Amino acid sequence: MSAIAPKFRLGYFLKSILDNTFWGIILLTLVGIPLVMMLLFYLELPVINGKLLSPYLAFTTLADPSRQIPLIKSLMQTDFFRIAAFPGFGFAALVAAGTIFVERKMLAKLQLRVGPFYCGKIEGILQLMSDGIKLLSKEIIIPAKADKPIFWAAPVLFVATAAAFVSLIPAAGNGWVVANVDVGIIAVFAVIGFFPVITVLSSWSANSKFPFIGGIRALHQMVSFEIPLILSVLGVVILTGTLNLTEIVESQHTYWWIVFLPIGAIVFFIAMLAELERIPFDLPEAESEIVAGWLTEFSGMMYGLVQLGSYLKLYAFAALFVVLFLGGWNGPNVWPPFPAEIIEKGIEMGPITARFPGLPLLDQQMLNDVLWFVIKVVGVIFFILLPRGVFPRIRIDLLLHIGWYKLIGLSFVNIFIALGLLYAGVLGPGGIL
Amino acid sequence: MTAQLPPGLEIEKLDERIMTLNVGPQHPGSGHMRLIVKVDGDYIVSCDPDPGYVHRGEEKMAEYRNYITNIPHLERPVIHDSCNVLYPYCLGVEEILGLEVPERAKYLRVIASELNRCVYTQYWLAIYGIFLGHSTMFMWPAGDREFLIDALEKMTGARVTHAYFVPGGIRNDVPANFEDMVLRRVDYFEKRIKEYAAIFYDNPILISRTRDAGVLSREDAIRLGTTGSTLRASGVDFDLRTKEPYDVYEELDVKVNTLKAGDSYARSKIPWLDMLESCNIIRQAVQKMPKSGSVRVKLKPNPKGGNTEVYKRVESGRGSLGCYIVSDSKPEPYRVKMSVGSFRNLICMPYLLKGEKLGNMPAVYWSLNYWPVEADR
Amino acid sequence: MGTATGIIKALNSGIKHLAVKRFTLRYPEQKLKFVGDGYQFDPTTGVGIAGYKGRHMLFHDKCTGCNLCSIACEGVAEAIAMVKVQEDWKHNKKSIMPQIDYGKCVFCGLCVDACPFYALYMTNDYELSSFTKEGLIYTPAQLQVKPDVQQDAEFVFSDRGTTHG
Repeated sequence: MSAIAPKFRLGYFLKSILDNTFWGIILLTLVGIPLVMMLLFYLELPVINGKLLSPYLAFTTLADPSRQIPLIKSLMQTDFFRIAAFPGFGFAALVAAGTIFVERKMLAKLQLRVGPFYCGKIEGILQLMSDGIKLLSKEIIIPAKADKPIFWAAPVLFVATAAAFVSLIPAAGNGWVVANVDVGIIAVFAVIGFFPVITVLSSWSANSKFPFIGGIRALHQMVSFEIPLILSVLGVVILTGTLNLTEIVESQHTYWWIVFLPIGAIVFFIAMLAELERIPFDLPEAESEIVAGWLTEFSGMMYGLVQLGSYLKLYAFAALFVVLFLGGWNGPNVWPPFPAEIIEKGIEMGPITARFPGLPLLDQQMLNDVLWFVIKVVGVIFFILLPRGVFPRIRIDLLLHIGWYKLIGLSFVNIFIALGLLYAGVLGPGGIL
Repeated sequence: MTAQLPPGLEIEKLDERIMTLNVGPQHPGSGHMRLIVKVDGDYIVSCDPDPGYVHRGEEKMAEYRNYITNIPHLERPVIHDSCNVLYPYCLGVEEILGLEVPERAKYLRVIASELNRCVYTQYWLAIYGIFLGHSTMFMWPAGDREFLIDALEKMTGARVTHAYFVPGGIRNDVPANFEDMVLRRVDYFEKRIKEYAAIFYDNPILISRTRDAGVLSREDAIRLGTTGSTLRASGVDFDLRTKEPYDVYEELDVKVNTLKAGDSYARSKIPWLDMLESCNIIRQAVQKMPKSGSVRVKLKPNPKGGNTEVYKRVESGRGSLGCYIVSDSKPEPYRVKMSVGSFRNLICMPYLLKGEKLGNMPAVYWSLNYWPVEADR
Repeated sequence: MGTATGIIKALNSGIKHLAVKRFTLRYPEQKLKFVGDGYQFDPTTGVGIAGYKGRHMLFHDKCTGCNLCSIACEGVAEAIAMVKVQEDWKHNKKSIMPQIDYGKCVFCGLCVDACPFYALYMTNDYELSSFTKEGLIYTPAQLQVKPDVQQDAEFVFSDRGTTHG
């Protein structure tokens, strides 16, 4: 045995298992069950078949599959499902986690090397999980003279704003969005306007030189690229006549807006890269000049939260690009319909015929929408990740020059094209197309 | 403070506008050397390089070792370019001891020297990519030099610090089917480095960062005494392999690359063009090499020279590298002085960085082909 | 317009490289193959034989304890010391043999060049780590053991990139 690691003794191992079980049970009964009770007190319990569904009834009905289905179906229509699972936080976090892994592997393949390889039997699939556990187990160090309330709150605020952004983006037709706001786009830009504030707060409260420089650079960058971002979307709004994101997608059922407004799409894409602080615009995080920019002083799970927030923002921006320019969830109907015999007659297994009333859970149209949406978002994310391997970092005066001169000019050209198309009667309400 | 200061110290008054930055030896944006940069907003007012962080006293230590034991010692200033660092030393000692190097050894020396030049230049390009924030430009050169390091390792037995050149020839002959192996690797290497054009040298973002940054005019380059790729990027056609040929460079066809612009972009492009040229030189040398022959002159146990001094210089990856040896009839040299290209180009740094933007500093500073370890010796 | 074509060319080059094979050597499952048996030196011709400069190997039936390797190393790294061994050889009256401290050795091979009796060679073994500094000092008995190396990975050149195989 090595001189550093202690020897293995079976007695100590069994003792540790018993210890963990003991503490697990204690925590579950003393903390977990009261929490669940309090949660259920505030949740609206659905009414099924004339009876209020209490938790005990829910657990008993789960035993019978034919009564499970209506329960699950009704749960899927609640607001909580939309916030937590789809299309809200759970879905976005899954896409974000997938993006991080795919980014590392794709960058590695581009650079002719393997990325994460050994964690998890096939090509390092479990790398992200081990990174998450590692971050959870690290000590959180706060600088001595830092402004503690703001410093603790900053990553949480960051994730909260990113989640608020995610909640405004529709993922499928028929109201599959967490917050169906009539002024969708303006709400989106209002939420995006928070990010520079949070960045500056977190870098100022860290009370150190490198976060300070990183925060100022991030502020310059984000503020100067917000204007082209908004202006480039104006073309789409003019042609659609509405600010609601779901209606914008529905108006693209014949043509996608990128066909008529390519300049706007390019301006939006470049401004999006700058808002996300991705290469070539990653000055706030420039590793070779200022150690890690405004993220320098975050350690442990705070760093994990900031990364989660960043990648949630990436998913949300990519989804916004898809919704505005690439036709959202519109696509040919390729999802196979649910077999009709199972709905009417049930599944036959030998002498028993099992009936499942209430099937299908999600209708075919919605699944088709989700499929096309995910395909398009994955495509856009690929093009966001690609410049990281190909371009160096841009200098700050060139960045500001691009943001204030070139992109605003191009987006005005885009608005003129949109106005021209509208007044020529080609597009828009009452147009040819 | 009105007390008397010890001699050599002075009080510096802090200006309100000008901030002093220590881009220090331990910083992700500098090599192992300190730059004391005075910045006014975004513009550099003055820059004071402070070399010496890795000074070891190598020249003094060389006086305690005899001519053969100096070989592993003197190759350490640049570990991956070790053959080029030893080259002038070996040429000098051969003149002191009056040795005649066999033909095959001369050709093999040229091959090893060119391979080392490519290996060093790839590493330099990799670090340049890091300074500009281009991670692919780090990975590709660092991976592609493995082919040449493999060829060198089959030749000399070690990946870096080869200790391959000895006064009198080289230490060991090459293994069987060496020409085949080297040519395959050099062919693949050349194919790889031609890909750098699309992703690095024609990349508009890189061009915007390095064009017109740190412009060194032709007259200034000659006046300041620069050497190597910095000199050739300012339009001066000077390469020791053609101007003062040593070993078998007279028989090889060396094309010297120059560019007129004299900015960081030109200085970053010249070593890449030189690498393409090195591949041609290796092919010519492999073809012209005598197929058999001795590779080393047998030396007596403790070789001694007369009371002479000799100065020889060689074109290394960074510029002209010269070695001045004084011998006084003892097995150990009396004085070994190495004049390295990096240290001579150091004068350009404060001259070029004055008035530059702070964002350009890594681009300009590293483009001077500066290797801190060699400059400090 | 030049900027746009440059950007598109760079992105194009990036996408093309997604199809190239990865180059990484999967050490320790794959280990690189070396050209011979290790660096050796022939004192009669005065020229070395190409090989990798790894751990040394001492032939006890040839070493005479002449001390030349230790003297050669004195100017370089002072890694060789002569120690007494419990063996009786006719050609080694003083019964001393070299002991090499790999904490100091720089693997230059000048000791191999110095040995006139074909007794000291270098092998292909480079995995010499140890948990203690004393473990790095290899006694003459340890230096006698021929290393057991399984190195067989080489470059495999192909149109779609080079890998190790």
